[in-house]
Amino acid sequence: MSQRTERRGIHVDQSDLLCKKGCGYYGNAAWQGLCSKCWREEYQRVRQKQIQDDWALAEKLQREEEAAYASSQGVQSHSQSTPPQQPPGHTSLGPFSKFEEKKTNEKTRKVTTVKKFFSPSSRSASKKETQEGKSPSPSISRHASFDTDQVSRDFVDFLKNLQKTGREIHKQCRAFIMNMSSKKDLSAEELSECVQDFYQSMADRLMSHFKGSSDSVEQVMDQVEKYIMTRLYKSVFCPETTDDEKKDLATQDRIRALHWVTIQMLCVSMDEEIPEVSENVDKAITDIIEMDSKRVPRDKLACITRCSKHIFSAIRITKNEPASADDFLPALIYIVLKANPPRLQSNIQYITRFCNPSRLMTGEDGYYFTNLCCAAAFIEKLDAQSLNLSPEEFERYMSGQASPRFSSSEGDWPHSGHGVTATNPVLAQLNHNLELLSGLSSRQETLMESARSLQADLLSWPDTVQREVNDILEKYPLEVRSCTVSAIDANNMDNDNLPPPLTPQVFAG
Amino acid sequence: MSAMRVDAKVVMLGKESVGKTSLVERYVHHRFLVGPYQNTIGAAFVAKPIQVGEKVITLGIWDTAGSERYEAMSRIYYRGARAAIVCYDLTDSSSFQRARFWVKELQNCEEHCKIYLCGTKNDLIQGDRSLRQIDYHDAQDFAEEIGAQHFETSSKTGNNVDELFQKVAEDYNDTAFQYMTAEETGVDLDQKKDSYFYSCCHNN
Repeated sequence: MSQRTERRGIHVDQSDLLCKKGCGYYGNAAWQGLCSKCWREEYQRVRQKQIQDDWALAEKLQREEEAAYASSQGVQSHSQSTPPQQPPGHTSLGPFSKFEEKKTNEKTRKVTTVKKFFSPSSRSASKKETQEGKSPSPSISRHASFDTDQVSRDFVDFLKNLQKTGREIHKQCRAFIMNMSSKKDLSAEELSECVQDFYQSMADRLMSHFKGSSDSVEQVMDQVEKYIMTRLYKSVFCPETTDDEKKDLATQDRIRALHWVTIQMLCVSMDEEIPEVSENVDKAITDIIEMDSKRVPRDKLACITRCSKHIFSAIRITKNEPASADDFLPALIYIVLKANPPRLQSNIQYITRFCNPSRLMTGEDGYYFTNLCCAAAFIEKLDAQSLNLSPEEFERYMSGQASPRFSSSEGDWPHSGHGVTATNPVLAQLNHNLELLSGLSSRQETLMESARSLQADLLSWPDTVQREVNDILEKYPLEVRSCTVSAIDANNMDNDNLPPPLTPQVFAG
Repeated sequence: MSAMRVDAKVVMLGKESVGKTSLVERYVHHRFLVGPYQNTIGAAFVAKPIQVGEKVITLGIWDTAGSERYEAMSRIYYRGARAAIVCYDLTDSSSFQRARFWVKELQNCEEHCKIYLCGTKNDLIQGDRSLRQIDYHDAQDFAEEIGAQHFETSSKTGNNVDELFQKVAEDYNDTAFQYMTAEETGVDLDQKKDSYFYSCCHNN
C-alpha cells in the first residue's frame, strides 16, 4: 500500500518516464512508475503480505463465528425454552465490518488484479492449509460480502429450529464448502458432480431423519442450496475452466445480429398494440434480465418463471384463451431476442449444474427453464428455414443489406399484409402515438377556432341586440296616449235595461 | 413455495394441431379438484394430483411445441421424463409418421421413459368412419412392437382420457416402488459418504 502514497502524476520529464527502480527500462504510470518486471516483483510482495493478513483475519472470523454458533447452540440445548440473548450473527458483525474496510481498500485497485488475486493464491493457500491440517480456508470468508453474511445468518437461524440436526447440517455444509474451495482446479462438470452428490446424500439423510416427509426435506434442502450456492457462487459461476464466457459473448453477438427478426416471422400470437400486452412484454423482459443478478439457482429459476407467466398473460390477453406450448415457445424466443439477457449461457449452465435436480426435472420451474434452454438452442441454430424465409433473404438481413421493415411494403415475406407500420411494433406504436397527437392538435385548433368565433359572436351580440331594439323602436315609436277618466258606468251599454234605482219609500205607521 | 411438488414428469409429444393441449385441458378441467393448478394461466404446464390406490401421485404434464421448426430441440424437453404421451390424429396419417419419429427418438435417448401411444379425435371417426386414416390394428401392432400402451381418445367427449392418465399414474407408481426397493440397498454407500464428512469435520 505504501506505493500508493508515493504515486505521482504523469510528468513529461524524460527521467520520469524511466522505471523508478532505476533498472533502465521505461516505467508505466499504470504500474506506479515501475517497469513491468519491477512492478511484478513489487506487486507480488505486497500481494503475499495481503494474503497472509487476510488469511489471519479470516481465520479469526471463522473461529469467532464458530464459537458464536456453538455458544448459541449450547444455550439452546441447555434451556430450550429461553431463546439466546444474542443471535450468533451479531458477534461476528464487528470483525466483519473491519473486513469490509479492508475490502474497500482493495477495491481501489484495478478489478483485474483482484480477480487474478483470487484464483491462484487461494489455491496455494488452501494447499498450505491442508498440509498444516488447519481448519477454515480464508478464501471462503474473503468472498463474504454483506449478502453472504446475511444468508449465513438466515441459515443459522433457520437451522436453530432443528436443534441437533440443524447443527449437524451446518457442520456438513461448512465442511463441504471448505472442501469445495480446495477443488478450484476441477472442471465445472466435476464441481457440479460434487455439489449434486452432496445434495443427494443430504437429501437421503434428511429423508430418513424426517421419516419420509418430503415437504420438510424440501424445505431444508432449499435452505441448504441457498447457503451453499451463495457462498460458492463466485468461484463456480462462469468458471475460467469452461468456455461459458465465450459462449455468452457469442450468444450476445448472435442476438444482436438477429435484431431484424420480427414478431410475425416467429409466428408469435401477441399483439403489442394492446397496451396491456406490451406492458406484460416489458415485465417479461425485465424479469429475464434480472435473472443474472441472482445468486441462488432457485432464485434464478423464479425469475424465469415470472417472465414466463407474464408471457402467458400477454398471450391470453391477445388470444382470449389459455396459451399452449405452441404459442408459448415462440413468444419466449421473441422475448429472449428482445431482452438479450446478460450472460445467458452462463446462467443456464450454472442452473443446470448446481440446481437441486428434483426441482429442475419435474416441477413448473423446470418446465419454464427447459423452454428457456430450447429458446437459447433455437436462437443458436436459427436459420432461414426456421423463420420461413428464403436463404437469400436471410443472408441479406443478416448482412444488413436489407431490412424486413422496408421490403415488407413490397410484400417480400409472408406476413406483410399489415403494411410498413406492422413490421416493428415499437415503430407502429410510435406512429400510432404520432397520429393520435396530430389528431389531438388538429382538434385543439378547431376548438380554438370555435372559441375565437364564439368570442366574436359574444362581442357582437350586444350590438346586434341594440340594433334590433333600435329598429323596433323606430318602427313602433312609443305613443303616450292621454288617459281620460270616465264614470264607472260610462262604458255600460245596457244602461237602459236596468231597472230604475230603488227609491226610498216612507211607510206611515 | 407456490410451486407444487411433482412426482413424475410426463411429456406430451405430437404434431402441431394434433390435440395435445386439448387432451390436457379436457383431462384437467373435466374434474374440478381444488388445487393451485387451477390458477395456472396457461395449459402448457399442469401439475395434477391423481389418486392411485391409497397414494396420491402428482403428475407434471409438460406440453410441447409440435411445430417442426422446434424438432431439433425436442430432446431437451423429454430429458428425464418418466412417461411420454405420443399423440397422433386418427384422421391424419402424416401425424402418425411423426409419432413414429418421436417414438424412435425416445427409444434412443430416454430408455426409462414409458411410451403411451394416443390416437386423438376419436369422435370424428364415430361420426364418419371413412375419415379414419390410421387403422386401429396397425397402431396396436406398432404399440406392441415398441412395448407401449395404446389408447384412442376424444377430448371432445372425454372418451378414454381419464383412463389414459390413470394408467400413466399407476405405471409410475409401480415403477417408483421398484426404485424405492432398489434404493434401500444403496444406503450403505451413503453411510460411507457420511463418515467421510464426519472425519472432515473432526479434523477441524
